[in-house]
Amino acid sequence: MFKKIPLVFCLLCITLSCGEDDNQNQGYSPTPVNIAVPAIFSQLLPAPEIPANNQLTQEGVALGRALFYEKNLSADNSLSCAGCHKPNQGFSDQRRYSIGIDGIAGFRNSMPLVNIAWNTNNKFNWDGSADSLEEQVLEPVVNEIEMHNTWPNVEQTLQSDPNYLTKFEQAFGTTTISQDLIAKALAQFIRTLVSGNARFDNYLLGQATLTPLEQQGLAVFLDENRGDCFHCHGSPSNPLWTDNDFHNNGLDENFTDLGLGDITGDPAQFGLFKSPSLRNLAYTAPYMHDGRFQTLDQVIDHYSEGLIFSPTIDPLMKTVAQGGVQLTPQDKAALKAFLLSLSDPSLANNPAYQNPN
Amino acid sequence: MFKKKLFLLILVVFFMACDKNDDQPQNTPVSIDFSHSFNQQAIDSSSFNALDYTNGFGTILSLTRLRYLISQISFTNQQGIKTLVKDYQLVDLSQDNSLAINDILLPPGAYNLKMRFGFTEAANTSSIYPDLNAASWNVPDMLGGGYHYMQLEGRWLDPGDDPDEPFLYAYHTISAVQNPGPDNTREDTSIEIDLGEITVTQGATQINVTMDINQWFENPNLWDLNTLNGMLMGNYTAQKMMQENGQTVFSLETNTGD
Repeated sequence: MFKKIPLVFCLLCITLSCGEDDNQNQGYSPTPVNIAVPAIFSQLLPAPEIPANNQLTQEGVALGRALFYEKNLSADNSLSCAGCHKPNQGFSDQRRYSIGIDGIAGFRNSMPLVNIAWNTNNKFNWDGSADSLEEQVLEPVVNEIEMHNTWPNVEQTLQSDPNYLTKFEQAFGTTTISQDLIAKALAQFIRTLVSGNARFDNYLLGQATLTPLEQQGLAVFLDENRGDCFHCHGSPSNPLWTDNDFHNNGLDENFTDLGLGDITGDPAQFGLFKSPSLRNLAYTAPYMHDGRFQTLDQVIDHYSEGLIFSPTIDPLMKTVAQGGVQLTPQDKAALKAFLLSLSDPSLANNPAYQNPN
Repeated sequence: MFKKKLFLLILVVFFMACDKNDDQPQNTPVSIDFSHSFNQQAIDSSSFNALDYTNGFGTILSLTRLRYLISQISFTNQQGIKTLVKDYQLVDLSQDNSLAINDILLPPGAYNLKMRFGFTEAANTSSIYPDLNAASWNVPDMLGGGYHYMQLEGRWLDPGDDPDEPFLYAYHTISAVQNPGPDNTREDTSIEIDLGEITVTQGATQINVTMDINQWFENPNLWDLNTLNGMLMGNYTAQKMMQENGQTVFSLETNTGD
């Protein structure tokens, strides 16, 4: 029996020596955490897609939340991500164009940052320019008309903050702060931004009712001969209220912004932009990629009688020859009422999304 | 010494017993690729947007999107035993990973390959497939509910029309519906595709199923996009015509074994 003990000991040593780098990970034990999936999402949608190399942890999400509100990400320490993606504005910006640190306006409206974890086609931004959320969050920091910083400067700034050293140690097991880890933490937090508590969600769950006008609006939305909104903007079966795809929805005859086509170089994709979710329209005006419409009425008027032909217009804009689907005033009022039922009043005040700094 | 020999013998017998049964045919990998053509012209997503195709009616058209649902993909061997290899697949020309089914394992032999365009009535229940919901593949309940069978979209013009201002079409197939609205009635217009006999050989077997898109426009119903170009989901007659035209759309292009 005694002879076996050295053998077992050797085996144990060999097994232990195969472990990961103990120097970096000593004391590193983050707590896995899941996204709070709304009940209606659990019923209807696949599980959120989380990259294998950036699984959510309590510590990672907490760090990402601190970074989301961190003004030191910008060159003059004046602008955070939340400066253009405000919780009380559907994590968007009610200004047509957000203003960067140098007082320069952008040229697109800020995209809402909710339910990103269900963006299954992994194309981010209005123009699909980022292939992952981790890639997407990198760009605004160095964009000359946004935060106008450099990554070495950001890394150095955070590296000199003992509070962040602790947070990175807890989240990633290292005190060496890098843009890669900053992006991972931000992505973790953004994936937790979930909106699934609109009145229409509760209606689907049998916990709320729709007014007759809202019900009429839903019928307009789902009617191929009237609104025909469902092909691009989801339905009661797709509570994301977007297809996460790219379309030319008949805004312009000529394009000053090529959208997806600017990224791909494909003329057939000039003027295509990502379908935004219809959630939280009550808080996310103005509308369209360039924020040209201040009101929901203007948006509905566009689809009703304002469509403009261009070579890449989406075939789903099938009534472009007539200028649109020609909704009646009653249909328009009903559609607007229904759309507003998709707004989630609990989003803005969710304590998990507030500024922790 | 004898004990050791006996122990070794037991070990050998034990490992031999764990070996695979040589009497049973070994499974071999099989893949099904979905390819597309328009009158013998190969089509893929790089073909999109070009007004390069003329249908049986004489209409010049382009494609901007093609998605369709195939279900009940099964192989039936010569003993009549059916193996369902996949419940459904949403084929999307813009998504390369949707154009093949690669994880099939079958014993070598002769099989009859069948699949279905769309869902059967029993399988076509609203909202029950999360991945299809996220793909916005649903049909509103007022149009019968369930899921689309196909979304074929693009632009078209008649000879002599201004090529800079083509018209638009959205050729969407669903379960045909009468009385769109709350009291609609639905009719199963999915299509069984019997691709005939295929041979699975030892080693990798690749099966190519091809869709001739023009068949949707000409056989047996010549399709006039001047009158049938959009809002077809609630058009019962159009859906029945689509079902008729869909009978000859799919074929087995080749069956290759390595």
